[in-house]
Amino acid sequence: MRRIGLLLRKDLRVLGRSPVLLAALIVYPLVFAALVGAVVRYAGDRPTIAFVDLDRLPDKLTVGGQTFNVPQVLDQVNENAELVEMDQEEADRKLENGEVNAEIIVPRGFASRLRGMVESPELILKTARGGVATRVEQQTQALVYELNQRLQDAYIDANLEYVRLIVQGGTGTFLGNEFDVVGLERAGELLTEIEQTTKDPAIAARARELSNFVRQAQLALGASDESLHATANPIQLEIDTEAGRSWLLSAQLQAYALALTLAFICVLLAAAAIASERDENVIGRLARGLVRLTDLVVVKVALAALVAVVLGLVIALVFGLLATVFDVTGGEPWTRLPLLALGLVVAGAAFGAFGVLVGVVAREARTAVLVAFLVALPLVLLGLLPEGTVEAARLISKAFPFSHAVDFFQSSLYDVDPWPTIAREAAWLAGLAVAFGAAARLGMRRLLA
Amino acid sequence: MPQKPAHYQRLSPRENLELFARLERVPEPKDAANRYMSLLDLPDDGRLTAELSAGNQQRLNLAVALLAGPDVLLLDEPTASLDPRQRRILWEVAAAVREREGAVVFATQNLEELERFATRVAALVDGELVFDGSLEQFKASPEADVFA
Repeated sequence: MRRIGLLLRKDLRVLGRSPVLLAALIVYPLVFAALVGAVVRYAGDRPTIAFVDLDRLPDKLTVGGQTFNVPQVLDQVNENAELVEMDQEEADRKLENGEVNAEIIVPRGFASRLRGMVESPELILKTARGGVATRVEQQTQALVYELNQRLQDAYIDANLEYVRLIVQGGTGTFLGNEFDVVGLERAGELLTEIEQTTKDPAIAARARELSNFVRQAQLALGASDESLHATANPIQLEIDTEAGRSWLLSAQLQAYALALTLAFICVLLAAAAIASERDENVIGRLARGLVRLTDLVVVKVALAALVAVVLGLVIALVFGLLATVFDVTGGEPWTRLPLLALGLVVAGAAFGAFGVLVGVVAREARTAVLVAFLVALPLVLLGLLPEGTVEAARLISKAFPFSHAVDFFQSSLYDVDPWPTIAREAAWLAGLAVAFGAAARLGMRRLLA
Repeated sequence: MPQKPAHYQRLSPRENLELFARLERVPEPKDAANRYMSLLDLPDDGRLTAELSAGNQQRLNLAVALLAGPDVLLLDEPTASLDPRQRRILWEVAAAVREREGAVVFATQNLEELERFATRVAALVDGELVFDGSLEQFKASPEADVFA
């Protein structure tokens, strides 16, 4: 342990003598985190969808007495998905070659079915297999939900018009046919008149009975306005965009910023540190009885973990301070710091062990840094893909510490009950650290050659 | 002692000596560092080893090798990058090891050094041992002409 401590102190001293490199290693992943976060956020949120209008929808569509401005509705949809109008052939071709994520088709007869208000017209959605298909389906479901909500009001108003006709009487139309309705009010008046004028007590009694029914029906139908709206929307969603954290201080971005910083710094640092022992020709001297090769692996992993804790806590403090200064609600950035520190240690060790393995394979420090960067970048990007997009990518990223580190950090900082997630992800990270460390130890002889 | 310097370039000579003294479990690492800094005339101005001349780096290399007081000193082309004064210092240190009943084994292509410091010679040609004997026997052998 004493020798591990001596070499660790030496590594920290050497690291401290490269402040520009250290600053670059810190700033780069933070900028990268923000950029990737933005790309993932907007790319995931706004898929490009081809819009094929086979029914040639008019600019103004009247349903149940309400007129819809079709281009305006499509503009509103554009906030969530980029709708690009094109003919079916072009849409099919672009879906095949991946230029669009999906295709929404408005079939012939759509508008007339909608106006008829008897049967539900259908929109057809075509998506590519895999990729972002799930997300596109979600976006399209949201789009249809939004359109349904707007149409629903028109349908309810039209139905209420029929109810008013039944209550008040008058002339109405259904499927283009006109008809007259007496109405409950007039029916009530007629029944009262019969009751008062008839001399037959049996008829008067029946007329009274019917009058009672008409009054009850009037009362029940009087409440139909509210009950129809309530039936259509059992739960109403109220959206308050001011509540919660802004995106820049969100739990997700903070977790990604921490994991990205660690992924690059720890992997590059450990890879360069182990390979430089060979570059400086020292490893042979150390291996002649001064230090065991296993100890050397442990030193570099410990160096990565130590740097991870210091940098991670600095980043967490910055986020915590910003959250305090801007009075942002949500999360417990201060009380959860010790828990976060635990995550930083295991994540730093896992990234470090992976870096040592890369350094051992690459052998030379410069090559090791380049290889570490080239390997870490795609593995990190795999971990950034949203869940449910590419299953294979998700599985591969499980074998790299990044996604586990993100889940650990997010849970440790913001979950009400973080323990199950933390235990699972800590076990993953520790397991990966041991596996990568063992593989690196097996390859250490390469550095002596 | 390897032909190529084997110490940390981003540490000063003193830091290198103290680190290796501690790794070698030398009882007083600071004193040992002082002793070899002085003995091998190493610069003590805080400069990093990477900024030192090849000769100074080679002497630091020797100092690190001597820290644990080895009974046998293995030197691979030890004077390759040293000036005459530095060579003299190196052979004085090597002689001190021999005087305390240790042994110095050195590889060289310099016959002058061989004649001045060696007592026994092993000659290698293309990786094969072609001669093994005293310095006097070597000088009288035909192999000596090969190296002349």
